Amino acid sequence: MIKIQDLSKIYKIGEIEVHALKKVNLHIEVGEFTSIMGPSGSGKSTLMNILGCLDRPTNGYYYLDDIRVDQMKGDALAAIRNQKIGFVFQSFNLLSRSSALKNVELPMLYAGVKPKERRERAIEAMGKVGLSDRMHHKPNELSGGQKQRVAIARALVNNPAILLADEPTGNLDTKSGTEIMDIFQKLNVEGTTVILVTHEPEIAAIARRVIHFRDGEIEDDHETSKAEVGL
Amino acid sequence: MNLLESIKIALEAIFANKMRSLLTMLGIIIGISSVIIIVSLGQVSQQMILKEFESFGVNRAYLGLSWRENPRQRDYISKEDIGILSDAFSDEIKGMSPSVTDSGKIVKRTEEISVELSGVNEEFNKIENISMKKGRFLLESDMKTRRSVAVIDEKLALKIFGRTDVLDEEISVDLRSSKATFIIVGVMKEMPVPFGNMGGYEPPAKVYIPISNMEQMVGMNGMYWGLDINFRKGVNPDETLNRMISIIERRHNSQGKNLYITYTAESELSMVNKVMSILTLVVGAIAAISLLVGGIGVMNIMLVSVTERTKEIGIRKAIGAKYKDVMMQFLVEAIIISAIGGIIGVMFGILISSIIAIAFGFTPAVSLLSILVATLFSASVGIFFGYYPARKASKMDPINALRYE
Repeated sequence: MIKIQDLSKIYKIGEIEVHALKKVNLHIEVGEFTSIMGPSGSGKSTLMNILGCLDRPTNGYYYLDDIRVDQMKGDALAAIRNQKIGFVFQSFNLLSRSSALKNVELPMLYAGVKPKERRERAIEAMGKVGLSDRMHHKPNELSGGQKQRVAIARALVNNPAILLADEPTGNLDTKSGTEIMDIFQKLNVEGTTVILVTHEPEIAAIARRVIHFRDGEIEDDHETSKAEVGL
Repeated sequence: MNLLESIKIALEAIFANKMRSLLTMLGIIIGISSVIIIVSLGQVSQQMILKEFESFGVNRAYLGLSWRENPRQRDYISKEDIGILSDAFSDEIKGMSPSVTDSGKIVKRTEEISVELSGVNEEFNKIENISMKKGRFLLESDMKTRRSVAVIDEKLALKIFGRTDVLDEEISVDLRSSKATFIIVGVMKEMPVPFGNMGGYEPPAKVYIPISNMEQMVGMNGMYWGLDINFRKGVNPDETLNRMISIIERRHNSQGKNLYITYTAESELSMVNKVMSILTLVVGAIAAISLLVGGIGVMNIMLVSVTERTKEIGIRKAIGAKYKDVMMQFLVEAIIISAIGGIIGVMFGILISSIIAIAFGFTPAVSLLSILVATLFSASVGIFFGYYPARKASKMDPINALRYE
């Protein structure tokens, strides 16, 4: 599913070169639930951006679903983001002017799906996250947990290869956070590959595999003791 | 994503910021409507001028002596010249008359009324737009018998007699030293004065008498300075006048001396029209500057809007919006703002220019073409001034855009 070889990312800040990722190698298989942890500046966000095809690596290879994407740019990357990746952000990132349903329809809009099918699939995705009764509400009429569920529905609606979640519970209370994690687990059980970036060990522990980053390198990569939980 | 979706998204954005959208449109509205008002104002004034010329006679011309060349008496246009010309050009000429004019006074008790006494022939009413209210115009027999008859206009009749049915009444006119008495045989309807009563100036009332009579009074005999001519429709006045001059020159043996000059209403009209067109163009161009300012307003607001919606752009891009999708979204928004502004501007412009046209007594003409042109033009203003902001939006880096708060 995801194959990363010798992946490096170097930022230039003035004269100084910052090595955000140093020759990282990583394989993630279909159906895995992986957490990425690490202190800030460890390179986990950079990896997340590259995995999500929002950013391009300086060196190395990145295969997503057997497609080499490290060389792609612009519209080609946009198409990959649209078709292969579902994003869930810490700050939800919903369009405030549009209803929940319209937000969920958005990825299909850019995929060129016909309005009728768009609506049907959006309604279905809203059902999956348990928000069938909130479809026509605007984001500001929804609670944080509900907003994040809309975001998950939006991430799912194009049947992406991976679901990328960046601190999805960071802005939520414990109860809502647990609900969101339950949804991720349920989706993973149903076969979705989930990659989760977090700095909370309890959240990370829900995943079967936890990868620790430090200084742009993988420090630790292990299966959790709670591996059975997902199964 | 297709155009319809872009339009939907753009309309949502426009309605989300009603006040700002309206103010942005205002620039376009003022620009478009001022262009339309100026252009139709120009058209109205051209129509006005044409109307004035028509009342005066569009086919009118004057052929006369050029005083600059110091013509001698033998160069004056003679009775025989006139006879030959009217025979030779009977197909072209509707009416031709020499005229001798002098100013005079009519004394009514203590009041003096200044008049313009014109000696003309019986064809003069085919030159000037004269229509009779009472009686008749001068006849050929009046010329031959030098009858002391006069045709006056109704205003003068009212001034002297207090009524208009004054046929067979007598008027006496003081002309320099002499005094002459005429019997009124006709009362003309009041003639429209070219270019209205400009500056409150009222030209003296006209009194027409037989030219033979006038000649005798001023002591000239069959020698004239010039001819008033009215050509038939479809005649080329300049070309005909040249032929007439060559005949006169041959008869007076004065070829190549440029002793005769001509004026035609047509050339005056086309000159006035040319001046008016240039004026309209210049003022229109100034008005178009306001449209340019309006377009810059659109660009400014779109730039603000792009910056404000950086996060939205980031979200859309993360979710898979392509370069073209973002470009379209903002471009369509700019075009719609400009086009709506354009349509309102057209309606406003038509309203104002119709009011102006009606006020000046013309039927307001709403040209579909001008609406189309103005709307398309304002939409292209949208494209032109919306392109840069839209490009800026579409080139945004999704990571930075997502981080924007």
